[in-house]
Amino acid sequence: MSTIIANGLTQRFGADLALDSVDLAVDAGEHLAVLGDNGAGKTTLLRILATAARPTAGSLQILGLDALRDRRRLRARIGFVAHAPGLYPALSATENLEFFCSLQGVQRTRAAEALALVGLTADATRPAGLLSRGMQQRLAIARAVLHDPKVLVLDEPDASLDSGAADLLAAVIRGRTVVIATHDRPLANRLCQRTLVLRHGRVLGAGSRLRVVR
Amino acid sequence: MIRPVTIALAVARKDLTSEWRTRELVPALGQFVVLALVIANFGFQIDSHNAAAIAPGVLWLALVFAGLVAFGRAFTAEREQASLEAMLLTPAPAAAIFAGKAMAAAMLLVLCEAVLLPALTLFFGTPLSVPLVAAVLLATVGMAALGCLFAALVAQVRARELLLPLLTLPLWIPFIVAGGQAVQVAMGASGGYNQALGLLIDFDILFVVLTSLAARFVLDD
Repeated sequence: MSTIIANGLTQRFGADLALDSVDLAVDAGEHLAVLGDNGAGKTTLLRILATAARPTAGSLQILGLDALRDRRRLRARIGFVAHAPGLYPALSATENLEFFCSLQGVQRTRAAEALALVGLTADATRPAGLLSRGMQQRLAIARAVLHDPKVLVLDEPDASLDSGAADLLAAVIRGRTVVIATHDRPLANRLCQRTLVLRHGRVLGAGSRLRVVR
Repeated sequence: MIRPVTIALAVARKDLTSEWRTRELVPALGQFVVLALVIANFGFQIDSHNAAAIAPGVLWLALVFAGLVAFGRAFTAEREQASLEAMLLTPAPAAAIFAGKAMAAAMLLVLCEAVLLPALTLFFGTPLSVPLVAAVLLATVGMAALGCLFAALVAQVRARELLLPLLTLPLWIPFIVAGGQAVQVAMGASGGYNQALGLLIDFDILFVVLTSLAARFVLDD
């Protein structure tokens, strides 16, 4: 059974059509890469999947729940990495994660585990504002997996990450259903079983990674 | 089930810790209220006869404008660093997040009042008494709830600095009327202090409940 089922997802911003009747199905444990040029609608699609935005039209089911009605319940099962890290610069890496542990209702010990997963244990006490952009991105990824979500939605998570990005992301997404937007096709090929290509808000093509790359 | 009180306290603690480390707001607000009193001191011909009549007005003017800055900043900073969305994408109830933000903003305004009230005594010679402090603190609760709600509402609008006072000030008038009366009596004027304080408590309950109910729609939708 599919973990994510989207039908006719449409998003308008005034007169602009950012997403035009996108259909999507992602199976449990599957990793889907969303590719496309700037302005193709990748971020809009991912924000809807992460319950950060409501579509203008269409339906969306995630983990058997209506993503437009049961948003709060779903948020306990979805992890989202957005464009901006969204961290508190005056708080340390650990304090940032411990704060989100409180909001997620999980044990604070999860903070140390998540920091270890993204390789930030040595920087745990440094203020987030003093971390490099790549380290902040790692911290945002750690926050996304604090509550051990079944579904991960990652919007260009490789942005600002160093050469170890692929290994880090591979470790993070293992065992989860993942939708990942990226411009990096080799990375998409390595991490994902399927790809979806968007252009001007429409699905241009979908299929196995090899077919789309060719 | 995540307890709303735990979340509200975590949000408030986070905001106060950030302010303690950056010291962005409180020192500036403290300077602002002292400057407001200095200007009022020069602007009015203050003597022992009229000080008790002028001081309450000056107190509320300084408090209102300091409050607008404090409450406006509470959500603007979250929007600027894109952290509000990260908070809202957790299962935590929006009302609890809002309550935490309002509690922290109210605490910052109380710190500002800790500078304002003694300074008022210094400049105007008015008594610094428990009834005066109680009236100001009670008004702060409701003003914080309303101020934070509108701050959340306008945080993503470009003209937020203009919109926040336009939306907030009319609804703060009940607090200024009741609080003003209580402060005047506390400073020696005749009138019903208990009645004014009772009104402040009523307004606090009304607006805290209303803003908690509205917070979900303002923050999440």
